[in-house]
Amino acid sequence: MRLVTSIVRWIVLGCAVLLTVWAFGRVGYRELSRVFSGGAGDSIELVVMHWSGGGGQQEDQIVEDTLSAFEREHPGIVVRRINPGDSGQYFTKLQTMMAAGEPPDVFYMDFERIPTFASAGQLAPLDEAIAVEEYFTPAVDAFRFDGTRQGRGTLYGIPKDFTTVGFYYNASLFRRAGVPLPEDDWTWDDFITAARRIAELGDGVRGAEIVTWPWIVRALLWTEGVDILDAEGELDLSDPRIASTLERLRAWRFDEENTLLGAEAEGLDPSSLFLTGRLGMVGPFGRWVVPSFRSIPPVDEGGFDWNFAPLPRGSEQANVIATVAWGMSPTSPHPEAAQRLLAWLVGRETQESQSRLGLAIPTLRSVAYSDAFIDAEVAPSNDRAYLDAVEHARVAVWPTDPEFSTQFGRWMDLTLRTGRDLDSSLSGFGGWWRDKQASPLANRDFPAMPWSIIVIISVVLLFVLGFFAVAVARGGRLSTARRAEERAGYLLAMPWLIGLVLLLAGPIVLSFLLSMTRWNGLGPLGTAEYVGFANYHRIFVEDTTFRESLRVTAYYVLLAVPLGQAFALGAALLLNARLRGVEFFRAAWYLPSVLAGVGMSVLFLWVFKSDGGLLNTLLDPVLGLFGLEPPEWFNRDARLFGVPAFALMNLWLIGGSMMIYLAGLRNIPEELNEAASIDGARAWRRFRSVTLPMLGPIVLFNGIMALIGSFQVFTQAFIMTSGGPGDDTRFYVLYLYNKAFDFYDMGYASALAWILLVVVLLLTGLVLRTSGRFVHYEGLRQ
Amino acid sequence: MANVQLQQVGKTYDGGVRAVETMDLSIADGEFLVLVGPSGCGKSTTLRMIAGLEEVTDGTISIDGRVVNDVHPSERDIAMVFQNYALYPHMTVAGNLSFGLERRRRHPSRLRGLFDAGYRSARREELRSIRERVEKAARMLGIEALLGRHPRELSGGQRQRVALGRALVRDPKAFLFDEPLSNLDAKLRVEMRTELRILHRQLGATMIYVTHDQEEAMTLGDRLVVMHDGIVQQVDTPDRVYREPANRFVASFVGTPTMNFFEGSVDSAARFQVAGLSLSLPAAHRSTPAGPCTIGVRPDALELVSDSENAIPCSIETIEFLGDRIDLILNSDVGRLVCRTAPRSGLAEGDAVLLRPTEAGVHLFEPGPDGARRSKS
Repeated sequence: MRLVTSIVRWIVLGCAVLLTVWAFGRVGYRELSRVFSGGAGDSIELVVMHWSGGGGQQEDQIVEDTLSAFEREHPGIVVRRINPGDSGQYFTKLQTMMAAGEPPDVFYMDFERIPTFASAGQLAPLDEAIAVEEYFTPAVDAFRFDGTRQGRGTLYGIPKDFTTVGFYYNASLFRRAGVPLPEDDWTWDDFITAARRIAELGDGVRGAEIVTWPWIVRALLWTEGVDILDAEGELDLSDPRIASTLERLRAWRFDEENTLLGAEAEGLDPSSLFLTGRLGMVGPFGRWVVPSFRSIPPVDEGGFDWNFAPLPRGSEQANVIATVAWGMSPTSPHPEAAQRLLAWLVGRETQESQSRLGLAIPTLRSVAYSDAFIDAEVAPSNDRAYLDAVEHARVAVWPTDPEFSTQFGRWMDLTLRTGRDLDSSLSGFGGWWRDKQASPLANRDFPAMPWSIIVIISVVLLFVLGFFAVAVARGGRLSTARRAEERAGYLLAMPWLIGLVLLLAGPIVLSFLLSMTRWNGLGPLGTAEYVGFANYHRIFVEDTTFRESLRVTAYYVLLAVPLGQAFALGAALLLNARLRGVEFFRAAWYLPSVLAGVGMSVLFLWVFKSDGGLLNTLLDPVLGLFGLEPPEWFNRDARLFGVPAFALMNLWLIGGSMMIYLAGLRNIPEELNEAASIDGARAWRRFRSVTLPMLGPIVLFNGIMALIGSFQVFTQAFIMTSGGPGDDTRFYVLYLYNKAFDFYDMGYASALAWILLVVVLLLTGLVLRTSGRFVHYEGLRQ
Repeated sequence: MANVQLQQVGKTYDGGVRAVETMDLSIADGEFLVLVGPSGCGKSTTLRMIAGLEEVTDGTISIDGRVVNDVHPSERDIAMVFQNYALYPHMTVAGNLSFGLERRRRHPSRLRGLFDAGYRSARREELRSIRERVEKAARMLGIEALLGRHPRELSGGQRQRVALGRALVRDPKAFLFDEPLSNLDAKLRVEMRTELRILHRQLGATMIYVTHDQEEAMTLGDRLVVMHDGIVQQVDTPDRVYREPANRFVASFVGTPTMNFFEGSVDSAARFQVAGLSLSLPAAHRSTPAGPCTIGVRPDALELVSDSENAIPCSIETIEFLGDRIDLILNSDVGRLVCRTAPRSGLAEGDAVLLRPTEAGVHLFEPGPDGARRSKS
């Protein structure tokens, strides 16, 4: 018998070893062969990365086809394509690839990030590579950067497509309301008159929707002849026309009923509302919505007529260009091949085939004005309006700090989405920018981080620690057998220990070191500069968003932890009943915790939608009895109700805690409840005097886990509100993510992470210290 | 104190399992009644029905004349001691003792005390009386020194006392005990048995006690209820249960070592024929009808004899020395026998001996494992 056992054991061990060796060998072989075949030069591999945002599946297919055609034309070049999903995921991936020193050879680049990426030396200059005279000049200039200002200087990207913006209108609603259809030179007065008249149609019809993305807000200001940046690119909010233009928009939205919808705030794609036929106008949007709008059936099939009109004029005619380019890495091992691919991707053939799909406006003028783009047969019939608008269109160039536009949008949100006072938003934004520029982090030079010294110190420290560990292990007087056992124990734990040191402890220590640097997370670690505790100083002294995110998170913790635990315990008590079919309910309650994530967030957007959402539809008649209205969870009332909405949503996820409570309840001896019954305790008293004290340690465990989890809320906020409006739902970790991956301030983000760690540690410690009074472990020891 | 009546009481579980067959039982005020039987015999279920922890499916249970079938346990004014003590682990001994009293307070509200001085003093008085009762019970059980401790800091015997104290302090109409001593070691069990007995005499309370240990049952009970497979086998005093067991089951269950049984038949000459032996029945049983039957003889009713008249030839397999007596385990043609006798010299394992049942020690049962006892003529 022992022989059989030992044979089986050896076979299992052998299999495990073989499997491990095979797996590592396979990966190793693949990587090595790639390196060597690349060096040998028999075939060149290029890596291309892009996203598929509004274009979706179609865009993916277009790139795929274009690359296949390129490979056919250029034997010897193999193209590997990466599509991480939407643009958010795309830039996170691109950033990590760059930081790792392995950027893709050719990749999408939006014009807003040109200063950041060009300054980090991650973009190859393309002035020599391709002749750009044939392309629309404003689109090309968007990708120029001279080291301080965008729009001039070296060229870092060749625009693959572009768009001007305007409003898409429902011509059928215009006719019903008796409003003339928009002309190409219509004005804001025409716009708002039409919106009001259409809103008067009633029956759930709204006049219009104006999105308030930062670059769109700039374009709206341009139509009145003002801008928030002066000729030198400095922030200047003094012109009274800025306030009056924004105030007009705020008033349209909040002081008039049904004229503007404001639905964009709820995370719903406003363009999808247009599809329902109950919205007069939507925009300002570019060409990107056309593919989905083309699914609108014609009038005789129950749909409606629609068309495009450029941005209305105020005191001036203006428009804004949005464009995405193909960029190239300066470190590409095959620069010539990469250049050839780039030229192919922006060449005439590619542009023609793409524009036939209606998705994008070609950047090559000759293609744009050809029938490849202009086609009166399919809607919108006004294709030419997109091109004519180029004449007075510009690119919304921002200061090089990537946080500027986000903060601008955030402050504007407070007014345009939650209706707060405009003056305080403008002065708040101005104040933020002044503070940020005054910070030493913004304008001082710092020495490079002394990585070599740190590495030497760490290695020495590790050796000393290792030495001590061995000395301590040897110090004890152990028998030979015990020592052998101990050695075997350490050997068995070694894979985990090595993993812990390399994969967990290493990054943790590194993040602490990074918290004392200024590093954009794009270049290698060597580019990090040592700033001491400047990041921490700025966080604590100047950063209002930090305070706000802490407030939001604390608000959430205070709501979600008690509420979630009470519900979890309540559910566990119900499901602890010995009834037929209770297993089904247990599974049903647990299921949502498995399904959590992005899908759930999207689902709950619909639940919390202010207008026609599931929850408000239910609340409306009830609150109506008291003359109240349900809150606009993620909109006007977000400051008070945004966080509670997330806390309510959290109730969906109590399954895990509930299961632990259920296990705890099962562990309480039935006799205790019986004894209490006989002692005169009814159900509630038994719960208070027996069940709850016996569950003490489990309540504590669940509570601490919930506390930690609540501090780390991210996905829901990221998907549902992106922290808005303003900072009303900017959870701490979301802000941390913004800093790291949107504003390229990895050092600052690391400091934020460490502050979070300390806060959670302190709170957990406090809970553990004070828990002794009400948590009894006797139940466990019996 | 109170009497407890069970009339036509039975219990069927949800799945259709019949745990207790219809039974009638009348427990007098101040009586110590022991429900005894092997595990699964329905004794605990019966007790739990009296406590109100199990629903009664047939019949009625009344305490002091009041039908309590639908009365919540807390309203029955009974106290119960559990096998695993069921002490509240998060409370001190004092807390455990006073819990039941706290639940029955007439002046519990603190809020009202703020406005109502009379209520406040009544409340204080009540609290004082609770404290006194707890202290009194603790004194009775010798656990005053433990009042501040938690159950986990106590030994098994101390926990048992606390569990007793918790019942005691309430001064209930009846005490229910569900195998309260079975988690204690043998020595402690015997000690606690005595104490329980004394306590019963001091309190004069009605006590209903469940155990599977027949020795415990014999020593404690004023009366025993022997149960088997949900059926009451015999209700009687310990003495009569021992001397006149109602059937072969009771006879085998009560008494250690177990009674010896011989399955044979009585012939027309009133001789008992078994495995080639022919034994004459004692005078009291001579008139028993002929036919198959079982004879039962307790180990202490077998005598070692030297003449073979009416004797069973055996060989000693092993000798168990118990101090004041010895148990002989013997092999014979009628099967294995146990004989309890005074220690004597000259006996060795393997020896051939002759055994004879005493006149008074022979019990006759109907054939079969549950055969009823045949009464003496």
